This record gives sequence, C-alpha cells and structure tokens, in this order.
Amino acid sequence: MNAVGMNILRFGTPVVAAFLLCGLFFAVAGYDVWEAMLGILEGAVTGPGSFRQTLRWSIPMVLIALGFMISFRTGEFNIGGQGQLMLGGLGAVTVGLLVPGPATLILPLAIFAGICAGGLWSAIAGFLKLRYGADEVITTLMLNFIAVGFIQWVTVGPLKDEAVRGETASTKRVDETLRLTGGDGVSPAMLCVAALAILAAWLIAERTPFGLKSRLVGANALAALWQGIPVQRLRLWAYLLAGGFAGLAGALEVLGPNGRLVTNATPTIGFTAIVVSIVGMSNVPGIILAALLFGGLQAAILFLPIVSDLPNSGLRIVEGLIAAIVTARFVHLRRQKRP
Amino acid sequence: MSIALSCEGVCVRYDAVQALENVSLAFESGKIHALLGQNGAGKTTLARFFSGLIKADTGVLAIDGHVVAPGDVAEVRARGLDIVHQRFALPPGFSVADALEFSAAKKKGRAIFSAKAVAKAWGDEMRSAGINASPSAKIGSLPVETVQSLEILRALSGNAIVLILDEPTALLSPSAVSALFDRLRKLRDAGVSLLMILHKLHEVIEIADTVSVLRDGRLVAGPTPISDTSSSELSNQMIGSNVVPSGAVDEAASAVSETPRLVVDTVTTASRKTGEPDLKDASFIVRRSEILGVTGVEGNGQRQLADLLCGFAKPKEGRVTLDGQDLSMVNQAERRRIGIRIVPFDRISEGASLDTPLWENVTTWRAEEFCGTHLPFLSVREMKRQAMDILGNLGVKFKSVDQPAISLSGGNLQRLILARELEDGAALVVAAQPTRGLDFGAAEFVLGCLERLRKKGTAVILMSSDLDEIFEVSDRVIVLCGGRISGEFRPPYDRRLVGDAMVSARR
Repeated sequence: MNAVGMNILRFGTPVVAAFLLCGLFFAVAGYDVWEAMLGILEGAVTGPGSFRQTLRWSIPMVLIALGFMISFRTGEFNIGGQGQLMLGGLGAVTVGLLVPGPATLILPLAIFAGICAGGLWSAIAGFLKLRYGADEVITTLMLNFIAVGFIQWVTVGPLKDEAVRGETASTKRVDETLRLTGGDGVSPAMLCVAALAILAAWLIAERTPFGLKSRLVGANALAALWQGIPVQRLRLWAYLLAGGFAGLAGALEVLGPNGRLVTNATPTIGFTAIVVSIVGMSNVPGIILAALLFGGLQAAILFLPIVSDLPNSGLRIVEGLIAAIVTARFVHLRRQKRP
Repeated sequence: MSIALSCEGVCVRYDAVQALENVSLAFESGKIHALLGQNGAGKTTLARFFSGLIKADTGVLAIDGHVVAPGDVAEVRARGLDIVHQRFALPPGFSVADALEFSAAKKKGRAIFSAKAVAKAWGDEMRSAGINASPSAKIGSLPVETVQSLEILRALSGNAIVLILDEPTALLSPSAVSALFDRLRKLRDAGVSLLMILHKLHEVIEIADTVSVLRDGRLVAGPTPISDTSSSELSNQMIGSNVVPSGAVDEAASAVSETPRLVVDTVTTASRKTGEPDLKDASFIVRRSEILGVTGVEGNGQRQLADLLCGFAKPKEGRVTLDGQDLSMVNQAERRRIGIRIVPFDRISEGASLDTPLWENVTTWRAEEFCGTHLPFLSVREMKRQAMDILGNLGVKFKSVDQPAISLSGGNLQRLILARELEDGAALVVAAQPTRGLDFGAAEFVLGCLERLRKKGTAVILMSSDLDEIFEVSDRVIVLCGGRISGEFRPPYDRRLVGDAMVSARR
C-alpha cells in the first residue's frame, strides 16, 4: 500500500472505530442509533448554521494543534495549550481595553500581544525543562491551573466587568471595531487570519531550517548535537512557537466570538487540540482534517441538547474514544523516542 | 568422547534474509570451540538458537545427548547451557549482588532475603572465582572485563556444562583478553564445554581447540581441530576469496606535511559526564595529510577528546588551535563550518537518526545553505537532489532518499555518516570507532576513505581500540590511559609496547 493510503487508514480507523463503539453505547442505552447519528451530522454539517459552528470551533483547535505539532516534532510534549490559550486571550484583551488608538493599529497589536503572552507562558515551562530538567508534561499541565487562577483573578479584579453578575466572571467587552467576527465566530477576516496562521505553521515546520533541524532534534537529539545543531535553543523556540500559536487562538477568541475574556469559556479546547494534533499525525493537512472533525463534534455537542433528548455526553464519549484509541498507539511511539 | 552440544539442519529466516541455512554441527565436550565468521555470517543467530532465544524454522537441538525443544530458554538452561551476550545483560543500575541474584541461571530459592545476605553469598562466590570487586558496587561503574567475569559467573552459577560466549573479546584490552583466555582454559580443564564466537583469527588460533566457520548463513568448515588448519586457510573460508592480510604499511609516512593543523596544548578538561576520566595535560599535534591513531582501553578519555574537539567540553587549562585559530570561543556549529567533522562513536544512537529519511540525515545540519535568496524558505527538491549525489558518491545503496535510515545495513549506515561528514571542506576529521561491528569489506572501505582524505591534505584522527587497524593506517599513534597520553609510537609498531602503554597508569 502506498503512503497516502496508509495515512488515510491510520487517520480513519480510530475515528470509525470510535463512532461504532459510540453507536453501540447509544443502542445499549436505548436510543435510536440512526437518529442519533443523523443528529450529530445535523449539528455538525447539515443543520442551519451548523457548519459555521464547526468552523468556529475548528479554528482555535487547529491553531493550538499546530503549535503542539511544532513542539512535538522537536521532542517536547507541551500539553499547556489550554493555559497558553487563556494567556493569549489576556494579552489581547489587555491591549484591546487599555491601549487607545485606531482599530487598524490596535487590532494587530492585540493579536501580537496574545501571541507573545501565550509564547512567554509556554517558555516558562521550556526554561524549567531546559535549565533544570523539569518534566514538561508536569510543568505545562500545572501552568494550566495557574493560568485558570490568574484569569479568574484578573476577571474579578483589575479588568472586572461590574455589569456581570453570577458565576462566570468576565472582562468588559472590547470595542466593536476590534472584533473580527460576530458572536458566531466566523467571518472572512477570521478565516483569512486562520489560513495565514496555518500557512505560517506549514512553512515553519516544512520549509525552514528550524523546522528541519527541530525534526532531527525530536528524532535523535544526540545525533543532532554531534552535527552541531543548537539543540537547546531549538527546543526553547519550540516552546515559544507552541505557546505563540495557542496564544493566537486565545486572542482570536477574544477578538472574535467572545468579544471579551471569560473565565472558563472553553475549558477543554486546549486538550482536545492535543488529540487533534495526534489524530492528524503531526502534519498540517492531517491536523486540518482532524480539527474539522473535532470542531464538528464540538458543534454537535452544543447542538444536540437543544433539538433532541440525546445527551451530549454521548459525544464526549466519541471524543474520548478517539483519543484513547489513538493515544494507545501514540504513547508507545513516544516512549520509544525519548532518550 | 561425548557430544556436549549439537544441532541438525538448522534454518532460520529473518524476513528477506536467510540467516542460517541447513547448519549441522556437533561439539565435543570438554573443549574450547570457536565459531568464526564475518558480520552477518549467522554466528549470533546460531548462538541464540543454541540458547533457546529463537526458534528455528527447521532444525533439531541436542544438549549433552538430550534433544531439547528449540525456543525454550528455561529447558535449555535446565539442561546446562548458558550464554554470555556480546552486549552484557546485567542491569547497569543494579549493585553486583542484586544483579547476580536476580539474573542468576539458577534461583537460590530465597523468597525473602536481606540485602546483607545476598551481598555475602555473592561476595563469597566472587572471591572463589577470583573476581575483585565489591558486591555493593554498581554494575555500570565497573570496568568491562569485570562485568564480563560477572556475566560468566552468573552463567555458571546454575552449574552450566556448556557455555556460549558471543564476541567476548570485543571490548577488552589485550591484557584483559589474555586474562579471559586463562580463565576459560581453567573452565575447560574443569570440564565445561565452551563455544566462543570470534572474528579475529589470531584469537581463534590462540584459544580454540576446534574451529568452525560460517559464511552467509552456511557452515563452510568444521569443527576442525585447530592444528589441522592455518590462519590463511581460515581467512579464505571466512571471506570466500584470497585476501591480503592487513599490516602492509606503505611508505605514506614520508608524505606527511610538516604544517601542524591541530595543536592541543597541555589541555586539562573538566568533565560534565561521570565515569569518563578527564583529559589531563594532554598535548599533541596533527599535521595536514596525517592520520593520527588514538587508542587505549575504552573509557580512558576517548570521549573527552572527541568532546573537546567538537566543542562539547571546554578546556579548563591549556588551549586547542586549528590552523592557528584558537578554538576556545568557537561553538559547535562554527567548528563544523571551519571543517571539524566527526564520525561519532556509535553510529546508531549518535551518528544518524534512524527514523529520519536519508536526505534529512545528510543535509539537515547545513539546511541554511538551501534557503532561497528572495524568500527564506528551503528548497526541499534541491536538498533531495544533493542528498542523492552525496550518498551516491560514497556508494550508499538505497532505493529512495525518502526511505528512513533504519532501512540501511550497518556498513551502509556508516557510509551515509561518512558521506555527510567527509563532504568537501573537511579540515580535521575525528573518526571514533568507525569500523566497530562492520564486516571486513565495510571496514576496509571506511579505512580507505580516511586514506583518501589524507591524500587530500586533511588531518585525520582515528580513534579505535582495534590495534590491527590502528597500525594499518596510522602515521603515528598515541595511547590514552586514564585521561593522560601514556605513549606515542611511530611505525614499525610494537604491539607489546603499545599494549603496555594502554594499561600503564592503571592501579
């Protein structure tokens, strides 16, 4: 079999298997499987506005997943996408709310601030790993919790919106002129930014000396070292880039669908994105496909309870099953690779 | 005389490779048998078959007259056969006593035990076997010859009557080899039958009572009593055609230029690594068009020297210059640009990245050169094209530059590394153990490459613990011992003097 066919098989098998298992679960639980599957399809693709919702969720997923891909190829397992996403949102909202100026200037500045904030947050874990050998799985995960706490403090403290009552605190809204999209999160401008970011990620990973060298570092750091490749510096850049892409996703959430920084707006997306990256087999086309798939699931999850009695937790099961099936193979690969 | 170990019609196939084809052998008990052959001849496969580690496609195995089901390690051990592997199997992080306790051929039957009791029991065994090491020392901290003695002790603790040793001399200094041989002769005299896998002729002739030769998975000859054969006959059987024995030094020494290229001036290093001695007051020069052989028992500063030249280790005292340029402020990448190249010690873990495609393995380190002039992006097509040329120049056999390096054989992989490192602009080449584990033809090719470099004016440092090859190509030889340079020799070389220098500073 050729390589493309092989990849399609590798991509498709866990997805199909997860849907089959989920169908089984629906059947056992007494739901009409066919209707349930149609409901998922409607929520993700065919329903009115469904595909826009799918795109709306695919965009942050694809960005974080691309960042994860870059650092993973370098051999770093950066699972702090969630925290980096939140910090990116904070960077963007801070600029958007506090810096006066014309939108044409402030909007790019806010996006840039988001990228920088996410990148620096990620670089903390990078520094701890490279300087002291702290395992990045632990540090990036812990930094996620710190990010949650930090954002909570910001949204009930310095940037608090006094108008909001209730459990989810948030900042004030940024000015309408700074918004790339309305509440549904999709607009030509947003799609353009996302496409540019995807192109940038592809170029970085496939067409720059950094991308090539980092791949060698990830595959065999010792061999890279003997060939005079500055391994530690590349690894630090991998952290910065991973965080940068997640930060960009966070900034786009604020400047797009949310319009403000909300605590716990998207509590799982940073983790789903890791699965997206792995299901997408750490390459750009695969990740785009996987992001559309998981974006569709996310859209369906939000849609199903509205139209039927199907519990959306059923779809969380699909998500979880795909993740479990894929990681079963993947953890094995990672173990082999690490020195 | 009874037969200790025999096999009948053994065939083993690994995917596309016929590793063993219809091999039938019978070894008499109470003798030292040698199994000789090039790399890939099937020696290790046969040893694994004997020890029950692999099942053959066909074939019968008998130990001490009893037929044993192939592929059953437990039964093979119960019948009294054990093996000492080429890469030792005792876990390096364990203490000696623990390692022996947990991997001994025969369990001592202690379900609950104290560390002290284990240490005492094995300490006694070690003393009676004449092994001088503390039972609480970590395996990883011991010299190879001691670990090997422990491996043998482990294997014999189950009262083995047949012991197989796979390449037991590969990592040993000459003096340790003779100590090993003495020990093995004593074992033979005590009634143990030994089967040794070897690839050096002179060792076979020194130790063995009989010799059997494998080539390309077939039995060529044997078991032949050693007195009925000669080294030239054996090398013919091994290689399949007449070969000129090594050691024919040409008059290249006179061609050495007088200009010093590399000057290492009283350098002392401060180590990051544990277990390797630092270089102490090391001074030597390498001239253009000169091959400097660096030898010594492994772990006596060879890695430190390679690290020093590549820029991983900084000199604490003294300095290193290349063509007059002080290297103390020159980083690794910069050093490669000015022409310092290395063929690292272990081609699999350090020399190449096995999961990476061939083209990336040879071009990534200088990826910047493939960036476009207008946009800073790589031309992958150009990289692949050049990779094809680079690999083709050294005759690497491959189908596509996209195939992963793991698909190459050992000799081919070393060619890939040479192709990458010796590309134009090499001023100083450090070749660390470049022929280890390669068969005769591949090793000759590697040495030939170094000779060609010398002709082009490159300075070459050849690090090797194989004295034959060191003597064959070096214009000068220095010996490292405990991080110091313990001797410098010029042709004609005296094996005994060099051997003395290798162990001179040992206490």
